[in-house]
Parts: sequence; structure tokens; C-alpha cells
Amino acid sequence: MWSFYFHELMRSMPFFLKGVYMTVAVAGLSLIFGTIIGFIAGILRAGRNKPARFIVGAWVDLIRGTPFLVQVFIIFFILPGIGIELEAFPAAVIALTNLTASFICEIVAGGIIAVPQGQREAATAAGLSYYQQLRFIVLPQAMRTILPPLVGQYVLLVKDSSVVSAIGVVDITRVGWLTVQRVPEGLMVFGLVGLLYFAICYPLINLSGFLERRMTVASTKL
Amino acid sequence: MLETFNFRVILEYMPLYGQCFLATLWLSALSLLGAIIVGIIACAMRLSKSRALSTIAGIYIESIRSTPLLVQLYFFYFGLPSMGVMLPEWVTGVIALTLNSGAYYAEIIRSGIQGIHFGQIEAGIASGLSYFQRMRYIILPQALGATIRPMLGQAIILVKDSSLLSLISIVELTRAGQLLTSERFMPAEGFLTTAAFYLVLYYMLKAFSGWAEKRLIFREAH
Amino acid sequence: MISFKNVNKWYGELHVLNKVDLEVEKGEVVVVCGPSGSGKSTLIRCINRLEPIQKGELFVDGMAVHDKKINMTKIRADIGFIFQSFNLYPHMTALENTTIAPLKVKKMKREEAEKIGRKMLTRVGLADRMDHYPTQLSGGQQQRVAIARGLTMKPKIMLFDEPTSALDPEMIHEVLDVMRDLAKEGMTMMAVTHEMGFAREVASRVIFMDEGTIIEVAPPNDFFTNPQTDRGKTFLQSILTH
Repeated sequence: MWSFYFHELMRSMPFFLKGVYMTVAVAGLSLIFGTIIGFIAGILRAGRNKPARFIVGAWVDLIRGTPFLVQVFIIFFILPGIGIELEAFPAAVIALTNLTASFICEIVAGGIIAVPQGQREAATAAGLSYYQQLRFIVLPQAMRTILPPLVGQYVLLVKDSSVVSAIGVVDITRVGWLTVQRVPEGLMVFGLVGLLYFAICYPLINLSGFLERRMTVASTKL
Repeated sequence: MLETFNFRVILEYMPLYGQCFLATLWLSALSLLGAIIVGIIACAMRLSKSRALSTIAGIYIESIRSTPLLVQLYFFYFGLPSMGVMLPEWVTGVIALTLNSGAYYAEIIRSGIQGIHFGQIEAGIASGLSYFQRMRYIILPQALGATIRPMLGQAIILVKDSSLLSLISIVELTRAGQLLTSERFMPAEGFLTTAAFYLVLYYMLKAFSGWAEKRLIFREAH
Repeated sequence: MISFKNVNKWYGELHVLNKVDLEVEKGEVVVVCGPSGSGKSTLIRCINRLEPIQKGELFVDGMAVHDKKINMTKIRADIGFIFQSFNLYPHMTALENTTIAPLKVKKMKREEAEKIGRKMLTRVGLADRMDHYPTQLSGGQQQRVAIARGLTMKPKIMLFDEPTSALDPEMIHEVLDVMRDLAKEGMTMMAVTHEMGFAREVASRVIFMDEGTIIEVAPPNDFFTNPQTDRGKTFLQSILTH
């Protein structure tokens, strides 16, 4: 029996690969948009404009205070109510982008704040404007603090993408869920699903750790 | 949409939400307790001198960290029955949450312990304290103070993760939203109320975290 | 009391202790000095097996420390060890720092341990700081608490690993005063230090080490005024001209 199920599972491999493609697509798009929005939000969060800081902060708090699954449901089911019809895939990308942007916002803001005040003072003394300081002095240095947790956040992004399977996006998790209805060997099917995610995430986690060590060495050399 | 926001229906469903709120609390608390215990054991194994124990713990921790919680949940939900083990859904849910957060707790505790100055441990050795005595009186008390914030952070994550249990038919806070949506076609009322409850939990936990840190920091006079 | 017989130790390829023979009698005060990397810290850290030795024999009060099977707890309970960086437990008060080992290792009763702890803290001049935490104390005060912590175990031997090297100059004498009193009361002591005034006053012998070997052994006055070896001469010149 077990070998029969194994055979069936192997026959489903093309299906699984489609799932991998979907996961990469959802995660990849959310990564790009989320990073862009996250950086902008982070700069605002660490900036001089108090109302901006507050609004961004409130948005981040809302997202951190509620489960991602609930956010996905809200975006998928409620947005149509105010006139935005959404299919599963776009809703998933919007929700994941939103989530990622909020976490990246905090990472970026933290990195900016961590740059020593003296740096800004030197730049001001030299006559650089606020945005020039940000662009040439603060952000380049902040990147050292930002890069390792940023890569870590991408790992979380891939893992969180599995939740969108709940609204029908046919990613790796959903393929597993559909397959296990036909091939009732949960261990095998989700063992395979786990392996596929592992193959994507494990290298990224190591990259994040590697970057963290390299960044620390670089800063001590200074 | 706001004009048609139906507060009456929410009031009607309040008893259900109340029950589900308690269910979420209870499931989270149980899993949290289990996760801390699993975390301590896994951490002890990871730091032990036995290569076998350390490797087993390492495989456990890396597998959990590199795969999504939902996949782990489905793994147990579909996998256990295929091995002949029939458990109530909520037990499966608690097992998945416990093992998931347990791995993260193991890492948190490990970094807390490794952050302690080695000189202290030497002082303990020099005065004749045994391994367990050093653990109990010198290492663990300090590790606790250092890790209180990340441990409570993981607790907040666990509460949010419990929302995934709704996908294996467990009746908790997110499921309440799903029920309001499917029974009355009111996703806005359903999920926004759910979100509100989670936010309450989130702010309660954050407040507790702040209070706990203050108390511990005062005790250590740092 | 302490007996090194042909003791050798390696860190990988590095030969940090080279055929060391040394006898320290009860009640003796021995000062160990030498350039950095000479193995002097390693020497005393071997006595309570903070560092193990690979070859040779090391006896403390008749017990074989080099024997892997021996129970070090009893031996360590009779040795007080003072670290260069104090290593006080930051989450305990001064008093608690002194009593933790007596309570848990020597299994003393709490009233007795606290009585001795208070007595030792008074003895080092910190009667009014017993309930303070290490972060509330100066470096010199912390080191004195460390000494009180060692003394509360009623040790037979006190070992000091550069006890004043991490202190600001104005705090060095308060620690040396305590050490001097201990020496005068007949405690067996071994101290790695460059404090020559201290050595001259209370040490019976000065051991000069370089590159893991004992180069010269002499009474302090002899060594400091008239070193016999070239390396000894060079070393003294380097610490005098700074």
C-alpha cells in the first residue's frame, strides 16, 4: 500500500512543481513590493515628521497585533465590500506585501536610528541637507545593521506565504492539501511539502547568519 | 460599508466570540507551557556534550525553523491518522503549536545562556559549585532576565499562530469570524471583530511584557 | 601545601608550561611574575584545575589534582580564587555573592553562612555595602567583595590572578591592604602580580617565569635588586621604566 501511495505521490510531482512556482511567485512579488514600501515607511518612521511617525507606527502595530490569516481574510473578503473585486492571487500578494512592508519598516527604522548621532552632526556641519545626509551618510551605514534581519525577514515571508493557501492560492501547501485527499499518506505528502520549503528556506537562513557575522566583523574593523 | 456595519449581529454573536476568545486563550496557554518545557529540554540537548543529543536537537530546531507552521500543522493533522493515531483536533493543534514554538524557545534560551560572561561560570567552578548548581544559581537566573523580552515576543507570535488552528476545524477566535461569514455573509463584521479581540490580547501581552521587564531589571539593579 | 612535579601543559602546539617544579609550603606567600604569555596565569589556574595539565603531577594538600578521577569539589572548596575581572555574580548582592558557595557546596546552614559572610565583608572594609549589587560598587570594592567571597569558604589556600591589573590606580592599594593583612595572618597565598611593594613586604619568594619555564626563584629583595638572569634583568627594566 505504502509503495502504491509513494508511486502516486511521484506522479504528482509536476503538480508540486507548479506549487513551487506559485509560492515563489507570490513570495517574490511580495518581496519586491514589500521591500520598496517597507524602506519608504521605515524612513518615515525614523524621520522628523511626528504625524508621519505616528501613523506609520499605528499601521505597524495593527499588523503586528493581528494574525496574518485574519489579515488575509479581511483583504480577500472585505475589500470587495468597498468595491474592489479581488481574486485569490492578487489578494494574497497584497496581504503578504502589507505584512512584509510593516516588518521591514521596523528593521529599516531601527537601522537608521542605530547610526551614531555624531555622523549626522558631522554631515550637518559640512552643510549637507537632511535627504543628502540620509542618502550618502546614514543609509549606507544603516545597511550594515539592516541586511541580516532583512534576509531573515525574507525567510519569514516564504513561510508566511503558506497561509494564503487558505484562500485557495495553489502554492506548495495547497498542492499538498489537495494531494492528501487522493493519497491519504499525510506523513509522506507533507514530508515532501516540508522538504520543498526547507530547500528554499534553509539556504536563506544560513545566508542571513553569514551576513550577520560578516557585518559584525566589518564594523569592528572600523 | 461603514453605514451598513451591523452591530446587532455582532452582539448576537458575542457569546460565541466570548467562548472562542477563551478557547484561544486556553489553547495558547497550554501550548505556551508545553513550548517552554520543550524549549528547555531541546536547549539542554543542544548544549550538551553528547554529539548524538546535540545533533538530534539540531535537526529538530532547524526543521521547524525552515518550514511553515501551517505545513507542520497539516503534517500532524493528516499524518497522525495515517499512522493509526486518532486524536481530537485540538490536541493535534496544541502539539503542532508546542513543537513549533518549542524550537524557537530553545534558540532564545540558548542565546540567553551563551550571552553570560564566561568569567562568572569560572568563578562558580572555582568555588566548587557543581554543573547543576551553576545552572540553577548563576546561569539560569541571568539568562531569564536577558530573555524575558524575546520570550514574551514569541508568546505573542504563538497567540497569533493559534489562528491557523481554525483551518483544522478548531473553534477559536478566527473560526468565529469564519462562522459569521459563512452563516450570515458578513465578513466585515466577522473578521473585524475577530481582529479586535486579537488586538486586545496583543496589548495585554505587551503591557505584561513591559511590567515583567521592569520588575526583573529592578531586581538585577542593572 | 602545593606541589608541582615536572608539570607540562600544551595549548595545541604551544608549550605553555614547561617542566615546572615548584613547592609551596603552608603559610608561604609566593609571588609569580613575568612578561605576558609567560604562563604565570596558567600556572595558578592549574592548581584548582580551571586548566588541566597534560603531563606531570600536581598535589594540593596531599590530593592529586592531575588525577582525572579525583573529586575536585572538595579541593576547590578549600581554595579561594580571585580573578582579574572580579567575576562577581551581578544578580546577587555582595552578601549573597559570599554565601552562595558555602550554602551549596559546603552545605552550611544559612545563619552560619551569613554570619561568616558578614564577618568577611567587614574584614575587607565593606560592612556598609553588604546589600549592594556589584554594579553599585567601584572596581576596588568589587574586588574586595571577591576576596570576601573566597574567604567565606574558610579556605586553606588563596590564589590571586592579577588581582589589581583591572583597577584604576587609586583603588589598587585598598585591595593590596587586604591581601597584605591576609598574608600577615598566615594564609598560604600565591599571587600573580607586578606589585613589587606588596611582594617586598610579604612574599617569601618571587617566582619569575618566561615562556612557560621558571627562570628564577629568589626572595623578593634579592630578585628586585639583583636579578641573576638576563631575562630577569630585562623584565625588571621594562616594568620599572613605565
